[in-house]
Amino acid sequence: MLSPLQRIGDAPWNHRPHLAWPNGARTAIWVIPNVELYDYVPPAEAFGVTTIPPPDLPSYCVRDYGNRVGFWRMLEVLDQHQIRCTVNINLAVLEHFPHIKAAMLDRDWDFCFHGFYNTRAEPRGLDEDAERAFYRSARERFAALTGKPLRGINFLRRATAALPDLVAELGFTYHADWFHDDQPTPVRVARGRLVSVPYSVELNDALLVLFDRPYEMDYFVQICKDQFDRLYRDGAESGTVMCVVLHPWVIGYPHRINALDEILTYVKRHEDVWLATADEIAAYYLDHYYDAMLAHATRFADGIATQSAHPPS
Amino acid sequence: MTHVVPEAPYCAWSPITERRFGWPNGARVAVCFVVSLGYYDELGPDGGVESPTPGGAIQVTSYPDYPTVTHRAYGHRVGIFRLIQLFDAHAVSPTVAIDAETARQYPWLVAECIRRGWEIVAHGVSQRRPITSALSEDVERRYIGEAVAALTDAGVDRPAGWLGPQGHESHRTPRLLAEAGLRYVCDWANDEQPYRLQTPAGDVVAVPLMTELSDAGLHWTRRVPIARWAALVKEAFDVLWRDGATQGRLLALPLHPWCIGQPFRVKYLEEVVRHVAGRDGVWIASAREVANALPAA
Repeated sequence: MLSPLQRIGDAPWNHRPHLAWPNGARTAIWVIPNVELYDYVPPAEAFGVTTIPPPDLPSYCVRDYGNRVGFWRMLEVLDQHQIRCTVNINLAVLEHFPHIKAAMLDRDWDFCFHGFYNTRAEPRGLDEDAERAFYRSARERFAALTGKPLRGINFLRRATAALPDLVAELGFTYHADWFHDDQPTPVRVARGRLVSVPYSVELNDALLVLFDRPYEMDYFVQICKDQFDRLYRDGAESGTVMCVVLHPWVIGYPHRINALDEILTYVKRHEDVWLATADEIAAYYLDHYYDAMLAHATRFADGIATQSAHPPS
Repeated sequence: MTHVVPEAPYCAWSPITERRFGWPNGARVAVCFVVSLGYYDELGPDGGVESPTPGGAIQVTSYPDYPTVTHRAYGHRVGIFRLIQLFDAHAVSPTVAIDAETARQYPWLVAECIRRGWEIVAHGVSQRRPITSALSEDVERRYIGEAVAALTDAGVDRPAGWLGPQGHESHRTPRLLAEAGLRYVCDWANDEQPYRLQTPAGDVVAVPLMTELSDAGLHWTRRVPIARWAALVKEAFDVLWRDGATQGRLLALPLHPWCIGQPFRVKYLEEVVRHVAGRDGVWIASAREVANALPAA
């Protein structure tokens, strides 16, 4: 089985085929709220929980706040800016919280599969058949609940080595699990095609505040603006992509929500920005660049192998 | 794969936008200052745990832990008096959570609160002995009883509220609180309005604290500078006030005298009090008044 770096191969930034986004956009921006469900009492083989004998009520309550209150405050700002999101969805939210499901479907958001509960370890620990069945049942349940196809996947630390092969085989078009680039990248899989649409551990509201980190959203605003400025500049030469990661249980608090308005106001002030979903970015990339980029990366790897010196230009 | 229903027992779920909740006096925002007078044992109990933040690490310190114990004692010896002075000056009545060890060892602090008519909330036995599901039901029942009895022994008339040390509970705590005759609980920091926890022993009203804005969490643990803390609390208030145009919101602010009562910090609390007090549409309420504002089921 290929390693993650073998799957994406190498393609130095300065030797790639030119990437042109629709309508001459320099930068594609996608916003991904993580709409999650934490078990009050997680199962024994739980993921990402503290060692407090469950329930860990303070941790549970912060996450529950996100669905009761934070989601709705976040929604108001996203609506003001008419943002179509890509939701990183714990599927159990759709089953248990019909109001949230309806709000997301009314806005025709796209969805990226982020497990059933955020406190469950799957697909980690599953054998290959069970893992395949896990993704298949997610697609089936999602289709039954929403009438929409599920095209994306995001498992980060829960992801397995086999994930890209298995999800490509089942019809997912992209994963948002890696942080390797400022452009989408073809992922080598056993069968079919799969795009990596890079996620962010940097422009991520939760990662600024979790683990006792000393940042608040003034810093989030600053790094999002700075990130945008540079990607917008580089995007004049070849298209770039920017991912903004949100959690209703972080950004939805009253002392944080104004930051989201500030970020979106800033990026929307610019021309030539493509506000897209990850589904749209992956689809466009598959149609226009996937094959060319894969061929380029393959030529590059061959060049390295034959010359064992400097890369071909 | 089995899927248990995720909702915590007792805890009815609804999105805030589906409700039509109003404060009895038409206020947009109820502000409740919740001061924690919590005692830090010199020696942690066997199996004791500390978890300062969601996702935080377990920390069990060895004896003698001079830094923590003396730093927290500062709050009981000095810091609380700066807060008393500040609240008196602004004619604001906070809610004070007092644990059993504090009530037994610092009865004069309980008396100061009683004399001012401040709401006193039972706060467990001590801060290094939080409730968890590792306790048996009998032990937990006795624990709650001990916390309430220590307050009544110190002269508190029928305590009605509960705040667990560090906000921790077992899966059975709301029921045991109802059995003990307590009427509201401040452990469920998941909302901006009071709501009802329904237990087989009767209802307990959840009065959610804004724990993300706690001086101890945001500033001391996470090290966000104190001036920024004050700015964030004021920003939160302004947003709640705006959102309070359609239905009532709650800002229940957790405060710790060992932290915010330090000489260089207390002026930032004054900044917050000045910002919220005297504004139109603001109700400075006690936790009991917040709980009582919830219409009968």
